[in-house]
Amino acid sequence: MSELFPRKQVMGFVFSLVLTAAALTVYFLDVSFTVGITILLATAFVQAAVQLVGFMHVGENEDKTMIYMNIYYGLAIALFTIFGTLLIMVWDM
Amino acid sequence: MDYFDRFAIPHPSPAIYASMVAIGLTMIAIVIGLTYFKKWGYLWSEWLTTVDHKRIGIMYLISALLMLFRGGVDALMMRAQTAVPDNKLLDAQHYNEVFTTHGVVMIIFMAMPFIYALMNLVVPLQIGARDVAFPRLNALSFWLFFMGAMLFNISFVIGGSPDAGWTSYFPLAGNDFSQSVGTNYYLIAIQIAGIGTLISGINFIATIFKMRAPGMKLMKMPMFTWTALITNAIVVFAFPVLTITLLLGTMDRLFGTHIFSMTNGGMDMLWANLFWVWGHPEVYILVLPAFGIYSEVISTFSRRNLYGYKSMVASIVIISFMSFLVWMHHFFTMGQGPLSNSIFSITTMAIAIPTGIKIFNWLLTMRKGKIEFTVPMLYSVGFIPIFTIGGVTGVMLGMASADYQYHNTMFLVAHFHYTIIPGVVFAMLAGLTYWWPKMFGFMLNERIGKWAFWFVAIGFNVTFFPMFFTGLDGQARRMYTYSEATGFGPLNMLSFAGAIGLAIGFALIVYNVYYSTRHASRDIGSDPWNARTLEWATQTPVQSYNFARTPQVDSIEAFWDYKKNGKPLFKGEIEKIHMPNNSGMPFIMSCIFFVWGFSLVFSMWIPAIITTIAIFACLAHRSFEKDDGHYVSVEEIEATEKDWEVLADENR
Amino acid sequence: MKIDNSLPLEYGTEQNKMNIFGFWIFIGAEVMLFATLFATYFTLEHRTGSGPAGSEIFELTPVLIETIVLLTSSFMIGLGVHAMRIGRKNAMITFFSITLLLGLVFLGVEIYEFTHYAHIGAGLQVSAFTGILLTTLGTHGAHVTIGLFWGLFIILQVKKRGLTPQTANKAFIFSLYWHFLDVVWIFIFSFIYLKGMM
Repeated sequence: MSELFPRKQVMGFVFSLVLTAAALTVYFLDVSFTVGITILLATAFVQAAVQLVGFMHVGENEDKTMIYMNIYYGLAIALFTIFGTLLIMVWDM
Repeated sequence: MDYFDRFAIPHPSPAIYASMVAIGLTMIAIVIGLTYFKKWGYLWSEWLTTVDHKRIGIMYLISALLMLFRGGVDALMMRAQTAVPDNKLLDAQHYNEVFTTHGVVMIIFMAMPFIYALMNLVVPLQIGARDVAFPRLNALSFWLFFMGAMLFNISFVIGGSPDAGWTSYFPLAGNDFSQSVGTNYYLIAIQIAGIGTLISGINFIATIFKMRAPGMKLMKMPMFTWTALITNAIVVFAFPVLTITLLLGTMDRLFGTHIFSMTNGGMDMLWANLFWVWGHPEVYILVLPAFGIYSEVISTFSRRNLYGYKSMVASIVIISFMSFLVWMHHFFTMGQGPLSNSIFSITTMAIAIPTGIKIFNWLLTMRKGKIEFTVPMLYSVGFIPIFTIGGVTGVMLGMASADYQYHNTMFLVAHFHYTIIPGVVFAMLAGLTYWWPKMFGFMLNERIGKWAFWFVAIGFNVTFFPMFFTGLDGQARRMYTYSEATGFGPLNMLSFAGAIGLAIGFALIVYNVYYSTRHASRDIGSDPWNARTLEWATQTPVQSYNFARTPQVDSIEAFWDYKKNGKPLFKGEIEKIHMPNNSGMPFIMSCIFFVWGFSLVFSMWIPAIITTIAIFACLAHRSFEKDDGHYVSVEEIEATEKDWEVLADENR
Repeated sequence: MKIDNSLPLEYGTEQNKMNIFGFWIFIGAEVMLFATLFATYFTLEHRTGSGPAGSEIFELTPVLIETIVLLTSSFMIGLGVHAMRIGRKNAMITFFSITLLLGLVFLGVEIYEFTHYAHIGAGLQVSAFTGILLTTLGTHGAHVTIGLFWGLFIILQVKKRGLTPQTANKAFIFSLYWHFLDVVWIFIFSFIYLKGMM
């Protein structure tokens, strides 16, 4: 039975739950916007990384360089698009 | 009858009725012709179900040429309408429809399939592969594009054409100001074609990364393959933006959301923003493959290897990233503050640098070369000065404060035609002529081709150069007429004369295809241009499996090394080859997509739901299907190769 | 088909490796798809017109249930792939089935949430904010729905055909898809709900 529950994945799951709980502090505690958004950014991106490396096995693939590049490239453009749009449509309008 | 009223055209005219009759007659003629010559089986088994990248490429090519003529007729109508002041040839509504469909057809349904035609035909051959990574998805991509194009093109006879410009800005494109179904056609047809393009993007990235011949490292890929790779990378990251933008537009028009509306918090300007987040990378999607074609053609006909290969690769990689950082220069005048205008002004001017590097690389490739002015080379050499004018005026437009003068005038129209026509159309004509013998086994006539080139090149400049002046004098784009007092008349007449020259050029190209099909020699060998890359190391026309033995590569110009230095290209024994089976699923599924799109355009929910279920049923069928492809036996390969490999050895 | 036995079954053939690689590229495209939705959401977040704002309609309980359920399902499918790699077909089918059941629970709660919003006057057509909120959630929900069918087909195929390079490859690719949907949900949870309730 225990071979069905590899340590790495169980730890990843527990860690994800902890991160979710950590994110909830912004709801239960009275934090400022800056502190809150920092907590959320940290918990969300770390948790995404846990999924990517722990569960999706991105590092085991023989094409991992290309796959990492693909993810980083996508992420960079995604962030440019989001913040560029906010700059144009909200902050500088 | 009320039910059928929705299919009527809101603004009918004799010309539209005439086209209806023409379309009907053509379709009847096709059906009768296919039945009379008993070609239905041939059409189904050899074309509609094919997964062969070369045949898919040819189908892309035919569609692109058809759309080129459709968009070209739109263009002629516009030039004719504006040739004299206060002209009554078209009314304002028809003029709106014509410039809208001209833009959409030329960008989405002409330029895109044209670049995918050449990528399909050439990329697997250049990297020494048997097919693309996912042959069946490749067929699906084509048929989705084709059905999207057909859906868009029936708009002008059923329900009315879109008329809000090819950018379809809200609120004009919203339900309040565009009450006909035209904009629904725009949203749904481009969505269907866009899904096909996204699939192609994934397909080609996987093909180029995973299926290169042994020894072909990334930095040993031919330049066209490099540009294809980077283009598809842009496609993969840009087209999802279009998907969502069109989805949100559809939500607004069909489901009454307020995302781009002017009430309840909606933000009409957000459409322009999202549209250009896709739209600017799209410009580079179109122009990068063209750069690849020019690199191949200039290198071949200068008889020199490409100058500055590494800087060429570096510049396209930089362009691919920067193409996502400049989109706001399309709407400097929309009312943002100076901060964002300055940022995007700077990124816009910065992207001219890698493009400039490429121009110098081509010039230096030609330096001290033994230049042969064949038709592809004429287009490539003609491209350099014309495109430079387009680029320089682009930098002018990129200055946010000066843009207030140029924005929305004919100056802008002149600028982007000066980039897109040499940057895409010239390249496609060069590529078409260059790879024609590989596709069809004979060459296009050089003399007619040169006449066509001069008509196209001169006609183009006569058409668009005057627009720089009328634009600076204040002629706005998309205005169907102007008064005589403006003084725009003579220059617009000159533009019309140029447009006729362009039309003659394209007619000559068609005549050239006809003439060469009848008269050209079929005995041209497999390498008529004395070229340098692997696609010429195949039989003409190319075998279904491309290469009997996988080529072994250790330089950028493997085929050249094989010819000049006798480096062996093919080693080892012939083995049986695994090939994918044909499938009717992509075609059937795309037909269902067509009905789905049509139902959505007219908000017919029951057929829309049924076809949605049918699409998922097709996917389910595909999931459960077992299809391991088939093998081509060694005997069969040897029989096909017998005559040819001997010849190749003699040539050496 | 040449099968390389030194690698996990799902990487066993060249075509399998290509399928997995191609799917990663597709995930890159999906990143942009959701990024565009987020860009639009953040732009329209405070443009509520005459409708309610996020802080007035979001409720923690259903959202937290959805988050935990989807997180657990992502864990379960991870275990399913692990079971597949050690050749335990039945355990794999069990884990995949639990995954899909949890996906169904997620979808049920989301449907409840949508009807609740419609009930309290935050329907699709109310304002720019509700429109983009429901479109974003709906796009994710549609992905989950497609995933449920897809996963079901894969369970049926593994049952019928056993663990072959083909079925293992499909199962692994499906697991990538499912994990990715959880990643998207993490961002929805953090930057739509929690940020809205903060």
